[in-house]
Amino acid sequence: MGRPVAIIGVGQTKHGRRMDVSYPDLVREAVLRVFEDTGLTPDDIDGVVSGTMPSMMEGVALTHFYFADAMQAVGKPILKTETCGSTGVSIAHTAFYWVASGMADIVLAVGHEKMNEGDSQATMTTVCEPFYQRHFVAGAPGAFSMQSRVWMDNFGIPEDKVRDAAAYISKTHHDSAFDNPYAHVKLRVTIDDVKNSKIITYPIRLLDVCPNSDGACAVIFASEEAVRKLGRKKVAWVKGIGFRGEEYYFGDSDKAVWQSAIQAAKEAYDQAGINDPRKDLDVAEVYNPFTFQEMMFYECFGFCGFGEAPDLVLKGIFARDGQLPCDPSGGTLCSNPIGATGLIRVAEAALQVMDKAGDHQIPGARTALGHAMGGADQFNGIMIVGSEM
Amino acid sequence: MANRVAIVAVSQNAGAESKDNFYDQAYRVVKDALDKAGMSREEIHTVVSASSDIFHGGISCANAYYWESSAAFLKPGSRQDGESLFALAYAAMRIMTGKHDTALVVGLCKGSENPENDTCTHMFTDPFYQREVGLNETVAAALQMRLYMERFGVTHEQCARVAVKNLGNALRNPYAHKKGIYTIEEVLDSKRVIDPLTAMQIAPKSEGIIALVLASENKAKKLTDKPVWLKGYSSSLDTFNFGDRDLLNGQLKNAASRAYKMAGITNPRKEVDLAEITEPYAFQELLWCEDLGFCERGDGGKFIDSGATQREGALPVNASGGVLANNPYVSRGLQRAVEAFLQIRGEAGEHQVGKKVRTALAHGTHGFAGQCHAVAILGI
Repeated sequence: MGRPVAIIGVGQTKHGRRMDVSYPDLVREAVLRVFEDTGLTPDDIDGVVSGTMPSMMEGVALTHFYFADAMQAVGKPILKTETCGSTGVSIAHTAFYWVASGMADIVLAVGHEKMNEGDSQATMTTVCEPFYQRHFVAGAPGAFSMQSRVWMDNFGIPEDKVRDAAAYISKTHHDSAFDNPYAHVKLRVTIDDVKNSKIITYPIRLLDVCPNSDGACAVIFASEEAVRKLGRKKVAWVKGIGFRGEEYYFGDSDKAVWQSAIQAAKEAYDQAGINDPRKDLDVAEVYNPFTFQEMMFYECFGFCGFGEAPDLVLKGIFARDGQLPCDPSGGTLCSNPIGATGLIRVAEAALQVMDKAGDHQIPGARTALGHAMGGADQFNGIMIVGSEM
Repeated sequence: MANRVAIVAVSQNAGAESKDNFYDQAYRVVKDALDKAGMSREEIHTVVSASSDIFHGGISCANAYYWESSAAFLKPGSRQDGESLFALAYAAMRIMTGKHDTALVVGLCKGSENPENDTCTHMFTDPFYQREVGLNETVAAALQMRLYMERFGVTHEQCARVAVKNLGNALRNPYAHKKGIYTIEEVLDSKRVIDPLTAMQIAPKSEGIIALVLASENKAKKLTDKPVWLKGYSSSLDTFNFGDRDLLNGQLKNAASRAYKMAGITNPRKEVDLAEITEPYAFQELLWCEDLGFCERGDGGKFIDSGATQREGALPVNASGGVLANNPYVSRGLQRAVEAFLQIRGEAGEHQVGKKVRTALAHGTHGFAGQCHAVAILGI
């Protein structure tokens, strides 16, 4: 496990349609905020981890070049981590390993995306190879709608119940976004609004789907020694990490009993000493670009049994005042600058255990999970943070 | 270094265009590396690969495509973009934490399925200013070369001599893509691409699947009698706007000095026995030798004239033929580490250098005129 590592500060942009800033300035906004938050300067940074989505979405390849100055990374050692949608959590993992290995004391992790200047769904389609899969995959919603059907069929969950639970998730997350100053979509919706919104790919409707956001996130990781030297009290210790990738061909794997999600969670739980995640975790920031998929993650992460998630959602178990609040920030459903999104999940988890989440703080949160998913439903990454070392 | 990390086995494919599909190539190289290490896939704890979407045959999220064929199925893993030596460093970090005992590092770039390298490198530019003027890696290198020659009096002939040396060395390397015995005149008379660069001073576009098996100290000693240790590593990134940079005073010195410090090297000229340097443009080998401290500033031309960097010289540079002979853009840095490993183990075959190699340097660079550099020091 190496040396203990903590998150000592986070910086986020106001996510949304940010036509007021250039892409480098968007990155700079998040980076300056994390320096402001921690009181550190670029001179304190031993290394920088950067990452985002594929070059087709960026319009620029190897973006660490373009953002070298915005990330205050000139003259610094650099790593460039990209694993598709799970990039944000993979960036956090890289920063963790860099510090835990003893190769650096303080590392800056930066994730970013300016989706309104690109074509995210066209790019997503090119994740699939050009001969077989590309013709079938209608961007991300195509894959996720198929997955949600498999899940319902597999466990015999009535479609009406799933529809109600998904609408509940959409409504409550949209409400939560009002308490998060950085969230993109701020919209009051009712259960009926969700159920009657436009169909994207059946059974997924517009209000089940995340937006295209511009946004960036910067997080600073530090060694125990650095935390002590800096005299920091409120930090988020990294307790466990997990990552798994599975079959490239979408049809080759079981996407209901979803091994990459199950095993990534298990790896992180084993390391963090978590036996009963619903009890042991106080908050989870689950990557939820689609309401249906959020419920599948609850099951794969062991928050409940397979096929049980819709019932528990409707009972409020995962609501802000429930047993295990999920996505009190509004989650990916309300802000999704993809290359930053996974890192935002980790940052939000860290804010919760540092008691710095403001209006969407879960009182007394001590252990929190951040998660991201990527590829054509292929990769899952997790980071668990806690208030105690 | 607290927890030492060793390379215990390596494999690579040939650089020339291959009819084999990507999956077969990746599978064979990875399997070969595991076989050489005497390990099964199950014994590998984590996989870190290196690839770039812009150099990946029109498929985005490159890591998604080759995840299974590079042995990473349901394993903890990650991917580095741009510079493959990043993946070596990251995999080593994973082992240094004690969380993993063994790691597989894979670099993947199938040049034959990509457009011309500079069609891709053009996309490193920002879309507003630099892209409009047609900047790409070769244009940037030509500007850097002109400046280098003017400021230090380095000659065309001295630059061309790098190509003569490296393409000659490549004759002994079965994996090299371009090779041959040429004269300085032939190099200078080859097609003028972007003045002052001629075609033979520019690296080709090659295939490169590279695999290395890494292990912790305890595990390495069980796996091999000849572990090669990662003694030092660092990287450094330069500012973005091309016109803002001093092209003769870049970040390699920074990366090298940090790597030397970690490896306990105070006099690289004496303590480094051999170097594998990423020189996509012939003159860059001379300039990088200066930055690495192998000779004085401005003396790169005299340094090659002295014969020191020849295969039988005092400090052989690119005995494999280097990047001028083999240029799988993303994996070329990792290929330097593989060659350094082979030389240290005495397993480089016909291009094994005469002197005993105890410490070798592997260098990777990508971006315009070396916007980013990485340096790894390997040794026994």
